[in-house]
Amino acid sequence: MSKSKIMNTLAHTPVGTTVRVSRIESQPETCIRLLELGFCEDAIIRPVVSGSSQMICEICNTRVGLHHSIAKSIIVIPE
Amino acid sequence: MTLMQPAAKHTAVKNIAIIGNPNCGKTTIFNELTGLRQKVGNYPGVTVERKEGKISYDDREISILDLPGTYSLSSNSPDEKIATDILLGKLADVKRPDGVICVVDASNLERNLYLVSQIIDQHYPVIVVLNMIDVAEHNGISINTEKLSSLLGVRVIPTIGSKRVGINELKAAIRNSFAESPATRQWKLPAKVLKEHEELAGLLQQHHHFSSELAFHEATNLLSTPKDIETFQREIARPVLDHVKKDYEKLEFLGFDRFSVFVESRFAWTRQISAAVVSTGKKKINYTDIIDSVVTHRFWGYIIFFSIMLLIFQSIFTWATIPMNLIGTGFEMLERQTGNFIPPGDLHDLIIHGAISGVGAVVVFLPQILLLFLFLGLLEDTGYMARAAFIMDRVMSKVGLHGKSFIPMLSSFACAIPGIMATRTIENQRDRLVTMLVAPLMSCSARLPVYSLLIAGFIPSTLMFGFWNLQGIVMVSMYVIGLISALSMAFLFKKTLLKGKTPDFIMELPPYRLPSLKNIVIQMWERSLLFLKRAGTIILAVSIALWFLATYPKLEKGTSSEKLAHSFVGQAGHLIEPVIQPLGFDWKIGIGILSSVLQREVFVSTMSTIYSVENADENSGSFREKVQQDIDPTTGLPRFTALTAICIMVYYVLAMQCLSTIAVMKRETNGWKWPAFQFAYMTVLAYAGTFVVYRIGLHFM
Repeated sequence: MSKSKIMNTLAHTPVGTTVRVSRIESQPETCIRLLELGFCEDAIIRPVVSGSSQMICEICNTRVGLHHSIAKSIIVIPE
Repeated sequence: MTLMQPAAKHTAVKNIAIIGNPNCGKTTIFNELTGLRQKVGNYPGVTVERKEGKISYDDREISILDLPGTYSLSSNSPDEKIATDILLGKLADVKRPDGVICVVDASNLERNLYLVSQIIDQHYPVIVVLNMIDVAEHNGISINTEKLSSLLGVRVIPTIGSKRVGINELKAAIRNSFAESPATRQWKLPAKVLKEHEELAGLLQQHHHFSSELAFHEATNLLSTPKDIETFQREIARPVLDHVKKDYEKLEFLGFDRFSVFVESRFAWTRQISAAVVSTGKKKINYTDIIDSVVTHRFWGYIIFFSIMLLIFQSIFTWATIPMNLIGTGFEMLERQTGNFIPPGDLHDLIIHGAISGVGAVVVFLPQILLLFLFLGLLEDTGYMARAAFIMDRVMSKVGLHGKSFIPMLSSFACAIPGIMATRTIENQRDRLVTMLVAPLMSCSARLPVYSLLIAGFIPSTLMFGFWNLQGIVMVSMYVIGLISALSMAFLFKKTLLKGKTPDFIMELPPYRLPSLKNIVIQMWERSLLFLKRAGTIILAVSIALWFLATYPKLEKGTSSEKLAHSFVGQAGHLIEPVIQPLGFDWKIGIGILSSVLQREVFVSTMSTIYSVENADENSGSFREKVQQDIDPTTGLPRFTALTAICIMVYYVLAMQCLSTIAVMKRETNGWKWPAFQFAYMTVLAYAGTFVVYRIGLHFM
C-alpha cells in the first residue's frame, strides 16, 4: 500500500486512534498557529471527542479543541 | 517596530518578567512570590494585562511583572502583544526586564520549551520553573531536571505552585542565579536558511539600529510572516523590504516552506531535549477523557450546560433567602435603634430614610452576589469554562463569532468589565469589537439586586412541573433574554457594521482539576469588599442626595405622597413621565432609572429611598410591602404589577446603565466612538424591547 493511500485527515480519524501529523494544508496564519500549538510534522495526535462540527484531540499531553474545517486541513498518517 | 532598549547587563537584576504558555500557572507562581492575590483560574486567558508586584530581600527589592500567557513571541491577540512587546523591549513606558522566569507546564515540556527557546534567543538571563510536577507525575511523566538544566544552560526549578512546593528555592534562585550569564541559542536553522536570516538581521541592525537580539527576532518574523510584506513599509526601510522579497524567492527556490521552517526547526530542538529528559511511565486513570466524552457531547453537552446555568440561578434565588432575611432584619433593627437615639426632624429622616434605607436595600443582596461568584469560580477552576466555549462554538459560529468569544460573555455574568477585558484573547479585531459590544447584554451581578427585588415582590413562589420555582424560572429567563439579545446583536453587527469571515475554532482545553477553595474564597472576598465599598460610597452618596431631592422643597400641608410629588424628585419625575409612560412606568420608576444610569444597583436604593420618604409618616413595613401597597389614586389599581416588574427587568437586561463599563470600553477601543455607540444602541434596544413586552403583556396580564 502506498503512503498516499494511508493518509487521512484528522477530522476523519476515529476517536481513540493514535496518528502522526504529516502536513498541514491551510492558510499560513492557521498553519503557524497550529505549528505553535505543537502540530508539527511527526507530532503524535489522538482524537478524544468528535462532535458534529468540532473535535477535541490530545497532542503533547494537552487537549486542543478544533473546528472540523481545521481538522480537515491536518493530514495525518497512522503511527 | 519602534524602539529597541538594550539587552540587560547581567549585574544584580531589578526587574523580572514571568512568562509562559497560557494556563501553565504563571499567576499562581507570581502570587506566591509577591504575596499578592491576582486572579487565577483553570482556563487559558485569565491574565490579560500585565500585573506588577515586588519581592523583598534583606538588601534589595525586585519588581516582578506577571505577563499574559503566550505560545510564542509572534503575538496574535492583544493580550499576547502586551507580553511580547515588553519582552522585546518595544514599550516606551515599561523597562525591558533584566531577567525572565519561564514557567513551563511539566506535563507538556516539548511545546512549552518552544517559548523558552525564543526567550533565550533574546539573550535574557532565564530561570525555568517546571510547574505542576505533581500533575506530570500523575500522567506518568518524570523529568530529569538536572539534565534539563544542563542541556538548556539555565537553572531549572521544579515547583507545585498551588502547594508552595519549590517557591523558596525559586526565591533563592532569583536572588542568586540571575546574576549569571544568559544562556545561548542552541536550536539550529538549516544552513542555507541561516545564511539568509543572518544577512537580513545584519541589514535590520544597519538600517534600524536594532540590538542583535531584536534584529534576530524581527528577521524571523519578516521571513515567516503570512502578511503581505508591503504592510511593513511604514516600519521597515525600503532596502530591507526589497531584500526580504528576494529572500522569499530564494527560500522557495531552495525548497523551504518559509512559514514552517523556523517553527519546525525550533520544535526539532525542543523534541530532542524533551526526548532526552522525559521518561514516561504508566498513566493513571484519565478522568478528563471520561468527563469530556459527556460534557462536550453533541447533545448531552448542551443539556448539561443549560442545566448548570439553571441550577446556578435557581440556587442563587433559593439558597440566599436566609442570609438575606438576616441582613434585612439587621438593617430594620439598625433603623429602629438609630431612630430611638435621634429626635424626629430632618437629621432623623436623612439617616433613616436616606442613608440606612438606601444602603440597606442594596447590601441585603450580598449573599446572592457571593453565591454567583462561588458558582462562577467553580466553573472557572474546574476547567469547565473552556468546555462551555467549545460546545457553544457551534452556536457562536452561527452568529459569526468564535467559541472563544463565549468566555468573555460568560465572565460578564459576574461583571462586564472583566468580560470586556477578556476579549483581549480574541485575535481578530472585528470579532473582538463585536464581543465587547454585546458582552454587557449578559446579566451581570449588579442587575441581580434589581431582579431579586422585583421577583420577590411580584412573582408568586409557586412550583412549576412540581419542582421548579416560578421565581427561579423568571430569574433564569432574564439571563436567557440577555444571552439571546447578545447573540442576536452579534449576528446583526457581523452582518452589517463589522462584516467578516467567521473564524474557525482552535483553543486549548485545560485538564479538569479539583477547584481550589482558597482561590474561590479570595475571589468571593474581593468581590464582597468591592460591593460593600460601592454601597458605602456611591450608593450612600446617591441615597443621601435623593433623600434631599425627595424632601425639598417642603410642602407644609398634605399627605406624604403629595409632599413627594412636590419635591425636586417629584417635579423631575413628572417631567420625564410622558417619555416612559408607553413602557408602563410611572414617574417614580423613571427617577429610579435616571438615578441608576451610572450604576444599575442604584435603582434599588433609589426606589427604597423614594418609598421610604413617601411612607415616612407610617414608618412600618418593608420596602417590598410599601411598593406592593402603592395604589394609583386615579385608577385605584396598584402602580406595581407583575407586568410592571417584568418590564423593569427587561429594561435592565437590555440597557447599558454602567459608567465603569463605558470607561473600560473607551480604554479598550481607544476612543469615545464605540462606547457612545454601545450606550445608544443598548438604550434604544431597552426602550423598544420593554415597549414590546409591555404591549404584549397587556393582552395577557
